[in-house]
Amino acid sequence: MASANIIHVTGLSKSFGSLKALDNVSFVVRQGEIFGYLGPNGAGKTTTIKILCGLLPRQSGEVSIGGLDIAEEPVRVKQRLGVVPDESNLYPELTCLRNLDYLGELYGLSRAARRARATELLGIFDLTDKKATPFGALSRGLKRRLTIAAALVHAPEILFLDEPTTGLDVPSAKALRALIQRINQQDGVTVFLTTHNLFEAEALCHYVQIIHKGQALAAGTAQEIRQRVTGRKTLEVTFDGPVPGDWWQVPGYRGRPPAPVNGRWHLETAGQELHQVLAFLLVRAEAAGVKIIDLEAGGANLEEAFLAILQEQRPGKEENP
Amino acid sequence: MKQWRRALAISRKDIVSYYGKPPLITWGLMFPGVLLLSIYLKDPGTYLQVSPGIVAMTLLFASTSMSAIVITFEKRAGTFQRLLLAPLHLDTIILGKTLSAAAYGLATTLILVLALAILLGLRLTVPGLFAIGLLLGAVLFALMGLIASMVVKEVFEAMTLMNFFRFPLLFISGVFMPWAKLPAWLKPLAWLSPLTHIVELLEYGLTGRSHFPSPWLPLGASLAFLVLAAGAAHVTFQRRAYL
Ligand SMILES: Nc1ncnc2c1ncn2[C@@H]1O[C@H](COP(=O)(O)OP(=O)(O)O)[C@@H](O)[C@H]1O
Ligand SMILES: [Mg+2]
Repeated sequence: MASANIIHVTGLSKSFGSLKALDNVSFVVRQGEIFGYLGPNGAGKTTTIKILCGLLPRQSGEVSIGGLDIAEEPVRVKQRLGVVPDESNLYPELTCLRNLDYLGELYGLSRAARRARATELLGIFDLTDKKATPFGALSRGLKRRLTIAAALVHAPEILFLDEPTTGLDVPSAKALRALIQRINQQDGVTVFLTTHNLFEAEALCHYVQIIHKGQALAAGTAQEIRQRVTGRKTLEVTFDGPVPGDWWQVPGYRGRPPAPVNGRWHLETAGQELHQVLAFLLVRAEAAGVKIIDLEAGGANLEEAFLAILQEQRPGKEENP
Repeated sequence: MKQWRRALAISRKDIVSYYGKPPLITWGLMFPGVLLLSIYLKDPGTYLQVSPGIVAMTLLFASTSMSAIVITFEKRAGTFQRLLLAPLHLDTIILGKTLSAAAYGLATTLILVLALAILLGLRLTVPGLFAIGLLLGAVLFALMGLIASMVVKEVFEAMTLMNFFRFPLLFISGVFMPWAKLPAWLKPLAWLSPLTHIVELLEYGLTGRSHFPSPWLPLGASLAFLVLAAGAAHVTFQRRAYL
């Protein structure tokens, strides 16, 4: 992968009244990568995107995009950016085709170039049969897709995606991730993607920056981040009948005693002992004469991951009860 | 960077998208149409005297309503952000939005003028001056509507805010009553109204006469108001476009 830094952010801060939405944030994005900006709701992700795209002035810090400062040369920088805001916001009364065409006009494309590009994008995003449909009449998932297509009309060097899959059903989100990967790989577009979904960051991003309460915390490759936050695994188990109260007392289980919610048990275990815990679970279920009808294993949730990282960053803070 | 082409693209899209929106039809055509009809029915002999005023009023309402709509509709739908994300100078956005609103005001007013000419025999004495008055008025009023709509969120708020100055303007600008007949204490105020000067330009165009000693006076004043409004629009956009 090319390694020139295309976005440079140093000491970026922004307050809304007394709220510090961004507090001395620094990071770099390398050309050609998918950069994940990962954080829970309210972390400051959208605020960061807005500042980088020239929608919001910053209070302090330096932002350089392709060597230019958007505060000084907004038109030149914006010409190189494609932006997909957190809400799909194309023109509801215009057809899909006309939306792409109009944005092409705003970015200075010739008529022929607009036509060719719109046709190509409708094809890539599987929207060709919707080209005469007004944007407002599309489903949520299709709106999202067209909004991304629209951000690519002028073949930008950098694509900003603000929580692209939030609110989509699982298949739509999956298809969208594949498209994002394709855009990055085939066209070499640098992607700046925000998400609150650790899984998504891991599946999609080459490099991840975690942000929490306006502060940039851990950063690293997706695998590095995953290793830092997967000390613990969670297990969700549902049996088809009542089980003895102590069934969960298997070797390797480390968490507090679980309580069932709607017949579903939630357990926590150390990552490397998952295999052992599962084996014992099966044995116990067999002995009690019940069957496991649903089982879900997952990483620690993001909230816990952030807490873990926060505690690493701030030694000396009080322990979790 | 050919910013003016992008401004034209904005205007073209607005014209296609927003012509025919209900507030535009109400305030742009029906209101002046009904008003003129009632004046004509009441006294067919004097309608020509008030026609510069009614034409200017139509221009005012149509242009300001359209520019309020092209901004507030898009702010509410979130699509205004598209313009801010695109590589456009703020002045390009202002120009694009102003042109579509002015074009709408002109089109509406021309329909009215044509109807007057065909149905009631209206004739122009100095057509060039009449046209200049219409053009200046359309752009000036469009800019005024743009400024008002930048200050509020909703379409109806923009309409309310604008009516707050549109209606008083009608009364001090010689729309219903010739400028010369205004009470003495109102006359200085009338000078400060951009509408007064547009009405006088139209009056010159229509009759070749006016209450002002020379057409240069309302022409100069209209131009000055235009520059003022453009500057105010620029400042308002700088302060409020990104909010
Ligand atoms: N315009 C605004 N006015 C006041 N507070 C805001 C504004 N925009 C964002 N915030 C606050 O700043 C913080 C960060 O918001 P945001 O960047 O939208 O978070 P994220 O996108 O990560 O969910 C939140 O606490 C949010 O409430
Ligand atoms: Mg957000």
